[in-house]
Amino acid sequence: MGKITVATQWLEACAGCHMSFLDIDERIMELLKQVELTSSPLTDLKHPPQEGVDVGILTGAVGNEDEWAEAREMRERARFLVAMGDCAVFGGICTMRNFFDRDDVLIRGYVENESTVDGQVPCHEDLAPLTRYVKSVGEVVPVDVYLPGCPPSADAIWYVLGELAAGRVPKPERELLKYGLDGA
Amino acid sequence: MSEVHLTINSQSVTASRGQTILAAARTAGIDIPTLCYHPALSSHGACRMCLVEVKGMRGLQTACTCPVAEGIQVETNTEAVIEGRRFALELLFSERNHYCMYCPVSGDCELQELAYRYGLDHWRYPRTYHKMAVDASNHHFVMDPNRCILCTRCVRACAEIAANHTLGLRERGSRSMIMADVSVPLGESSCVNCGACLQVCPTGALIDARGVYGGHEEDLTHTLTTCIQCSVGCALDVVTRGNRLLRVEGVWDSDPSGGLLCVDGCFKPLYDERQRITTPQIRRNGRLTPADWDEALDIAAKKLKNGSALGLAACATTNEALSTFARLFARNKAGRMEPAAPQLGYGRSAQLQDILAADLIVVAGAHPLSHQRVVGYFIKRAVDQGAHLALLDLTGSDLEDYATLLVNSEDAGLLIEKAAHVERAVVVYGVDLTPGAIKALKPLVDQSLFLALDAARNGKGAEAVGLEPLDVEEAEVLYFLLGEQRENGAMVGRLNGAFTIVQACYYSPLIEHADVVLPTPLWAERSGHFTNLEGKVSSLNAALPMPENVREEAEVLDTLIAML
Repeated sequence: MGKITVATQWLEACAGCHMSFLDIDERIMELLKQVELTSSPLTDLKHPPQEGVDVGILTGAVGNEDEWAEAREMRERARFLVAMGDCAVFGGICTMRNFFDRDDVLIRGYVENESTVDGQVPCHEDLAPLTRYVKSVGEVVPVDVYLPGCPPSADAIWYVLGELAAGRVPKPERELLKYGLDGA
Repeated sequence: MSEVHLTINSQSVTASRGQTILAAARTAGIDIPTLCYHPALSSHGACRMCLVEVKGMRGLQTACTCPVAEGIQVETNTEAVIEGRRFALELLFSERNHYCMYCPVSGDCELQELAYRYGLDHWRYPRTYHKMAVDASNHHFVMDPNRCILCTRCVRACAEIAANHTLGLRERGSRSMIMADVSVPLGESSCVNCGACLQVCPTGALIDARGVYGGHEEDLTHTLTTCIQCSVGCALDVVTRGNRLLRVEGVWDSDPSGGLLCVDGCFKPLYDERQRITTPQIRRNGRLTPADWDEALDIAAKKLKNGSALGLAACATTNEALSTFARLFARNKAGRMEPAAPQLGYGRSAQLQDILAADLIVVAGAHPLSHQRVVGYFIKRAVDQGAHLALLDLTGSDLEDYATLLVNSEDAGLLIEKAAHVERAVVVYGVDLTPGAIKALKPLVDQSLFLALDAARNGKGAEAVGLEPLDVEEAEVLYFLLGEQRENGAMVGRLNGAFTIVQACYYSPLIEHADVVLPTPLWAERSGHFTNLEGKVSSLNAALPMPENVREEAEVLDTLIAML
């Protein structure tokens, strides 16, 4: 059996899920025998290849128009889409802004912040406009596998990729669902 | 016939008529998950976690409310049952903010545990993002409606355990909210801070303001001990992490209160701001200065040996300390500082539980809702269940709202008349009992049990070793065994130049006038025994180590006896 191709992307996220992925440590050597990593935030190639990949992994929530497009792009190019981490699965901590008006959040963060002097809300055509609500990946595109956790443990990520490489659909349960490294 | 036969998962089970399917299953060792159910509370059937299939019945049943019946066949783990539970969990999770990552009880949460159990890796329903204000107006605990699943355990605990009825529900459907009184902030409500709601909350909706971030269950130590803040002597579960005191909980099904606590046992001791005495001190050149134990005890022993001495104990300590104290003063005079309830000279003693079974409760010369609060809550519980409450010679009592009869001892005929129609009466009386009331209550002696509310914490322990109420009198040496009893300076003017020895936990006006000060442990550091108002002896177990230079009172008193 040949290698499966994998692309990853982080959306509105803290990078913790990718850090947890790297926490599989030396097992990455084993993984690379079964998996070909194409694009990821850690590689030069940032977008999934046009010819598509077997597995796409999205971490982070969808909170601006670029992230929306990236989620759609990954969905279109991946045969199998994994939502990884609480933000991708549930919206997570990013959804705290959903309780407030979008502009109020920006002013609070960039102007009224206690440690800010003469602040202003960043405004440039390169900056993607925020969507009204932050959403989970599953609310934007169909997802095949959900791996919650903040972040999911390295063992859980190892399990999911291992199952996919072996041609099975992973279904994380019990300990592998628990978020955080201490299983709390 | 009271026995019922049924099968659960094809296993034959025998249950009593009237039992629920859940109770029958648990007795048979068959697990059914629950969330809104709590063994100390009535069943509500709101959360749908205990769904089971009963052959022949339409739909799924809630096992916590569905009674057993002869011949029924129950299945607890069918596909439909599991799907029903998962569906309910998905609805619970999507309704409010159940993101575990920023919840302090993550890891110890019953909702989260069920999600893990049922493999809930995501939910399908969009969230509404209703903004709900956190209520942090109560000093001791915080209510976060965003974490609430509306299981109403807190509402039921408030009504059924504390009989306080502060908590309730407002609105309907997904807009339902737990509220205090008529929707006022908790801190301004009729809440009595008994802690019952906090202890039963299955999620992070009610959290302890002090200890909730102190650690997960696996990091914590639970020490079972006895509350010594009043004479009721409730069982305590003292929760610590290392040498840090995090919180205090009640112990379900324990004597004497069944798990109910009050603010005096549950919260106040954790917020005591008095300054602790951590080393012996002696007066040198008019100033109190730190000393080592040998030096301090030497001076105390010399004075006790050579002068007329009077020992006064606040009964805020163990039976062991009180008995050693009585021995120390065997050849001198000693007594307790707090008054005792007068002797009636008639009647059988009541236990606390008798209040709950009474048809008539008479309160005289006592204010249990202020001083032995759990007794007050028990009385309110009995009233909720239909008992009559009569107040004899009591004006301005906080029990007045619950009483059906307010009488003076001159008109006691009314009370006797009422008592003639009941089976079980309990008379609760205290130190302010009038001679008129003693006389008026006598006709109730046959059908009544009598519960004396001691003003002292371990008054029974003092009584057992012959320490009777005693006032300060002239002596060359005055010895005060205070423990953590609050001392407001009443004694200061009455020392009359006596050499004063104080064994206490905290600084107080009396300490400033002492010649020898000996530090004592506080409640959570004590080992020994305590006799409550029912005469039951229970043990005190240290949950925290004593500070380095503090010693148990009994040990210190023993040393003094050996030195005399």
